[in-house]
Amino acid sequence: MKKYRPGVMIFLFLVCVFCLFPFAWMIISSIKESGDIMSVPPTLVPRKATLSHYGDVFTKSNIPRYFVNSTVIAAGSTLIALAFALLGGYGFARYRFKGKSFLQNAVLSSQMLPTAAIIVPLFIILRSMGLLNTYLGLILAYLIITLPLSVWMMTGYFRSIPADIEEAAAIDGCGRLGILVRVVLPISIPGIVATAIYCFVVTWNEFLFALSFATDKNVMTLPIGLAEFTREFTIDWGALMAASVLMTLPIVLLFFTLQKGFISGLTAGATKG
Amino acid sequence: MVRSKRRSYKRGGGIFTLPVALFLLTFIVYPFLFNVRLAFTDGGGDFAGLVNFTKIAADKSLGNSFGLTVYYVVGSVFFQMLLGTAVGIALESPFKGRGIVRSLILIPWVLPGAVAATTWAWMYHGDFGIITRFLSFGLSGERYGLLTRPWTVMPALIAVNVWKMFPFVAVMVTAGLQSIDKTLYEAARVDGAGRMAEIRYITLPGIRHVLFSVLLLLTIWGFNSITLIFIMTQGGPADVSLILPLHVYRMGFMFFNFNTAAAESIFLFAILAVLIAVYLRVFTQGEGGDE
Repeated sequence: MKKYRPGVMIFLFLVCVFCLFPFAWMIISSIKESGDIMSVPPTLVPRKATLSHYGDVFTKSNIPRYFVNSTVIAAGSTLIALAFALLGGYGFARYRFKGKSFLQNAVLSSQMLPTAAIIVPLFIILRSMGLLNTYLGLILAYLIITLPLSVWMMTGYFRSIPADIEEAAAIDGCGRLGILVRVVLPISIPGIVATAIYCFVVTWNEFLFALSFATDKNVMTLPIGLAEFTREFTIDWGALMAASVLMTLPIVLLFFTLQKGFISGLTAGATKG
Repeated sequence: MVRSKRRSYKRGGGIFTLPVALFLLTFIVYPFLFNVRLAFTDGGGDFAGLVNFTKIAADKSLGNSFGLTVYYVVGSVFFQMLLGTAVGIALESPFKGRGIVRSLILIPWVLPGAVAATTWAWMYHGDFGIITRFLSFGLSGERYGLLTRPWTVMPALIAVNVWKMFPFVAVMVTAGLQSIDKTLYEAARVDGAGRMAEIRYITLPGIRHVLFSVLLLLTIWGFNSITLIFIMTQGGPADVSLILPLHVYRMGFMFFNFNTAAAESIFLFAILAVLIAVYLRVFTQGEGGDE
C-alpha cells in the first residue's frame, strides 16, 4: 500500500503544471507593464511588477458596475433557489404523495436541459413579461439552471438525517413547517452551504443567458463584460487579465474555504447509481 | 398504533414541492411548448407547417455545424475521460500532499468559463501568446496562432475544453473509488496481480457506473457548450468552429429569425433527448425501491 511510485508522481506533477499554468499566466500577465506584455518572446517573469492594470479596470472600465450586477444577481438567485430547494427537498425526502416519482423525474431531467435549446422562447417570454434587462429576469432564468440540482442535493441531504427528532417534535405538537424551520434547518447547515455555493458559482459563471437576456450595461454581468473586452479593436490584454483575476477571486475563495462539503454534496447523487 | 402514526406523518407533504413544480411548469415546460409553437409558425404567428424544418434541412451551414459539434464533443469527451480517469486513479495512491494536489487540479473546473476563454485566447495570441511562442521553436521564427488557422482551431478549442472539464471526471472517479471493496485488492495481490491488472479487473469495473454517467453528462454538456467558443473564436474563422448552440444563438439573436432558430433548437433538443433518456434510465435504476 505504501509503495512509492515515481511514475505516478511525475504524471501528477505534470498534470498539476497543466492545470495551474493558465491560471498562473493570467496572474503574471495582469501585473506586467504594458510594454512587457507585448514583448517577443514573452518573458516568464515580469521585468517589473505593476498594479496599474488593476487601476485601469477600476477607473476606466465598466467592470466595477458589472461586478455589482453579478453579485446582486448571483446572491438573489441563490437565495430563491435555496428557499425552493429546502421546501422541495424536504417534501421529497420525508413525504409520500401522488405524482412524487413523476415530479422527481421531471426535476432530474430538467437538470439535463440544454439551455441553448430554450434561449429563444425564454427571450420572448421574458420580453412579454417586461423582464429583459432586469435583475429579476436573470435571477429567474438562473433558477432554471440551478434549481434542479439544488433540489436534488437537498433531498439527498435530508435523507441522510434520521427522522427521529422530527417525529418527536411532531408528537410534541409542532406543525409541519415548524418542524422544517425549527428542527431540520439548524442541523442541515452543511447541506445548505454546499447547495448555496453550487448555486452561487454556477450563476456567477453563467454566460449564455446573460448574453441573451441582459444586453444593457446596467444589468450586464462580468462574463459578458470580459467578452466585450475581447471584441474591442485593440485589446488591452493587461487590463483584461486583471479583470479576469478579479472575477475569479470570489469563486476561488468560496470554493476552497468550503470545498469539502461541496464536493461530497455534488458527488453523493452521481455515485449512487 | 405506532405504525399508523408514522404513516400519517409521512403522507400528504406534496405541498412542500409545489413551488418547485410550479416553477418547472412556468419556466421549463411552458418555454419548451412555446418553442414547439414557434417552430411551426411563421414570423407573423400563423401556422406554417414544416416550412421552418425544410428550411433548416436545406441549410448546408447547419449540417456543417452538426459535424463540427460531433467532432468537438467526441474529441473533448474522449480526452476528458482518459485524463480524468487516469488522474482519479493516480490520486488513489497515498502520498504526502495528496489533499493539496486534489484541490489544485480542481482550479480549471472552478474557474469561470469566460475567464478560462480569455486566458487561453491570450495564450494562443498570434503575436504575443506563450503557446504560440512554444510552437514556433525550430520553425524559422514563423509564428503560428492556433486560433487563426482553420485546421488548428478545433484541436485548440478541444484542448481548452479538456483542460476545463477533466477535473470533474477525476473528482467523480475519486468518489466512485471509495465504494470499491478493498478486500478485492488484497485478494488480487495474494493471487500475484500487478497494478495494471488490478486497475483493469477491479478498479475500472468497480467504477463503471460512475464512468458511464460521467460520460453521458460530459456529452450532454458538450452539445450544450458555448462560452469557450463564443469568446475565443465566435465560430470563426470562416465558420470552422460554429457549433450548434452558436448556430442557434446567431440565428435568433443576430439574424433575429426566431422561428428558424426555434426549429434548430428542436433539432438540438432531439439529439440531447436521446442522451437524457439513456442517462435517466441508468441513473434512476438504483432508486427503484424508493417508492
